[in-house]
Amino acid sequence: MEVKLLTRIKVSDISKEVEQLVKLSVRDLMTLPPPYDKPGMEPEMTEPKSEWRSRYATDLDGYVGIDIPWRPQSKEEEEKLVQRFLEGLNKLLSVEGNWTFLQPLLLSLEYCAKCQTCSEACPIYVSSGRKEIYRPTYRSEVLRRIWKKYLTNSGRIFSEDIELNARTILRLGELAYRCTICRRCTQTCPLGLDNGLITHEIRKLFSSELGIAPKPLHEQGAMQHLKIGSSTGMTPEGFKDIVRFIEEDIKEKYGKSIKIPVDEKGADILLIHNAGEYLSWPENPAAFAIIFEEAGLSWTLSSQPVGYDAVNYGVWYDDVMLARIALKHIEIARKLDVKKIVIGECGHAHKALTVVADRVLFDDYNIPRESFLPILWDLVEKNKLNLDPSRNDFPVTLHDPCNIVRLMGIVKPQRNILQKICPQFREMNPSGVYNYCCGGGSGFAIMQSMNFPEWRSKVASRMKFKQILEAFKDTVQDPKIPKYVCAPCSNCKGALRDMLEHYQATSRYNIQYGGLADLVVNAMVDLKSPYLEFLK
Amino acid sequence: MSLTEALLTSTYFTILVFAAGLIYVWIKWSRKPLHLRWELYPVPHEPGRTHYGGSYMEEVDWSISKPSKSLIEELKEMLKEMLFLKRVYMYNRPLWYLTFLFHGGIYMILLWFASLLVNSLTTVYLFESAAKTTFIEYLIIFFGYTGVFATTIGAVGLLVKRIVDSSMREYTSKVDYFNLSLILVVLITGLAALGLDPFFEIARKYMMSIVSFQITSSVKLPPITTLHIVLLQLLWIYIPYSKMSHFLGKWFTYHKVLWDDEPNIRGGRIEYRVKEVVRGYKIPWGGPHMKKDRSWLENASEVE
Repeated sequence: MEVKLLTRIKVSDISKEVEQLVKLSVRDLMTLPPPYDKPGMEPEMTEPKSEWRSRYATDLDGYVGIDIPWRPQSKEEEEKLVQRFLEGLNKLLSVEGNWTFLQPLLLSLEYCAKCQTCSEACPIYVSSGRKEIYRPTYRSEVLRRIWKKYLTNSGRIFSEDIELNARTILRLGELAYRCTICRRCTQTCPLGLDNGLITHEIRKLFSSELGIAPKPLHEQGAMQHLKIGSSTGMTPEGFKDIVRFIEEDIKEKYGKSIKIPVDEKGADILLIHNAGEYLSWPENPAAFAIIFEEAGLSWTLSSQPVGYDAVNYGVWYDDVMLARIALKHIEIARKLDVKKIVIGECGHAHKALTVVADRVLFDDYNIPRESFLPILWDLVEKNKLNLDPSRNDFPVTLHDPCNIVRLMGIVKPQRNILQKICPQFREMNPSGVYNYCCGGGSGFAIMQSMNFPEWRSKVASRMKFKQILEAFKDTVQDPKIPKYVCAPCSNCKGALRDMLEHYQATSRYNIQYGGLADLVVNAMVDLKSPYLEFLK
Repeated sequence: MSLTEALLTSTYFTILVFAAGLIYVWIKWSRKPLHLRWELYPVPHEPGRTHYGGSYMEEVDWSISKPSKSLIEELKEMLKEMLFLKRVYMYNRPLWYLTFLFHGGIYMILLWFASLLVNSLTTVYLFESAAKTTFIEYLIIFFGYTGVFATTIGAVGLLVKRIVDSSMREYTSKVDYFNLSLILVVLITGLAALGLDPFFEIARKYMMSIVSFQITSSVKLPPITTLHIVLLQLLWIYIPYSKMSHFLGKWFTYHKVLWDDEPNIRGGRIEYRVKEVVRGYKIPWGGPHMKKDRSWLENASEVE
């Protein structure tokens, strides 16, 4: 899709004394396919409130991702911010501070050829109408130039074109939250360099040294997770109440008496869901309970703090927080003496515990961790569940959560299931490991402060919305036909929920969304009523 | 010492410094500590799954059986990237025409070096057969001409593109321009030298002097050829310390990061290294949630 190029912004402009570097407008954004190709189909973009400007970093694009008041209020505070940032950068490039990603970070900083091959792979850059600040190489080049100029001899000799002042840091901090770390750009890099990783590393510098991170990720997220038991604020008692409610609901609505196992020692599987599911989409953990019981699996949930919430927000911004949460998950599994941990429909939890945290575990802590997807496919393939595909006879498409697919290579099981139980299943384009992010990745789905959700739905989720409209182009304009976006990830569902609401796609065109387990249960023949709400 | 002798001596020096530089770069990247897993699919060594980007994690209980790897699949992908610049071809076609000429030309020049070397070694140490000599001489001429012209056209094109295309210009640093300009100067002096030695007779004699460790009396280098050799030597010495060593860096970005899906098996090599890093390194971070100067393990296990 051709989008007119706008006035170019230079890398060095990041430190410019202007109120706002970029102003977004719906006219500039990537055009959406029918029926959203007409004017007035989506709300206009709003201005940031004037009072935000004195406390937050609205200097970048007017949107606020970092919702803690961190703008320096005096010259001294500005100087201190610059000094602490440089100290943090030094630590980020040290073995002690950053053994976790030092090699990939330095490789990505040293070898970029500035060929811009990665730009067109980025859904945010393209959706924004190719705004320069969102180009995958923009924030990387800012960091690279600061590093070269202020911390290396070659940079001093060749004098890199960048000025490090408080405004540079404020904008760079926000810019680290304009990339979902989907790493689509990395797939296209001829040198194998990783601008998504550089985003991750900038976030880490801000968090680990300066204590600056969006509240939903750190203070209300990872910290609350460790202190209370869940990033949602759910306590163990609250969790047990919800489990009881789910049991009653299953019996009342679907006529099945199920006792959901909680804290059962010696079970084969410890199943951990994203706790957001219990609050926003309890039908998903309920579907798992129905499937696992039907299949006769030996499994349990945990009611221990942290053990009932699979999320690990540390994976998005802070390695120490990642390790803390991962160790807690493992500790709970050990106490329950389970054979393995299985992660429910939560993409980043998959990647965090199975892959990224793999290299902080050892001895008794090194216990198997797996995705639910191969298990679910195994049950469907072996006909352990009595399924009738005609119950799912409506258009279904699959959203691939980046963390499960591109970053873990789990591609086929979910497709195999959908092909077997959904007669009208169709792929998005592109799909599989080349999918587009939902726009909620790397914490965006839970960042609901100020005007950030508007930016997310308009820019970050725009490409996914375009894909959804294209996948359903045969029926999209017929609201009588329900269309289902299957998203086996809690955060993706959160982003889809907000996106569909923003564009009023459910009320106008009957585009629905939900998990994979829900679809499987909907196809079970002995259910007395449809499982999916929109079919009732 | 004559100028030619000095040049010959500096050639040996260049070869040694270049080799030492590459070893240094290799060691520099190899010695970086164990990093967390950060692979990206498709990972091309998954047998039967490469074509769609699948992994061993698609299997139930994958951790019980050791995942198998296909080295051939990995090499195939590596060669496609090295020889044909697959990703630029797929995702940035306008640039590919230029960069393929440039890199393809460099490969030809390397083959030219190799054929000169083979020719000299066989002539000096083995035999001098007319048939062999003629064949290798043809190869030398073929590789030499295609290499120098393709590389020069590619380098000029890349430089022009970098200057004309604003999305590249804004990001290109002075060092990037310096690197490309240095290569171009070497190529232009090489073309001038070629004009004086169209059948590579001087080049063959010079290479023979190198492999025989003695100055062949008939080697008379024109000034432009001398300048070319000096610049070429400087380029070779500089390569390992510049971005031009990306042919080594690329090994690490792909094989040691993006394709590194090796699981941490209990009692295995990785687990041993994990223990070292989490116990050995102390956190220098100053954030309020950090326990500064305490080990990674202490930081990860205790939360206030």
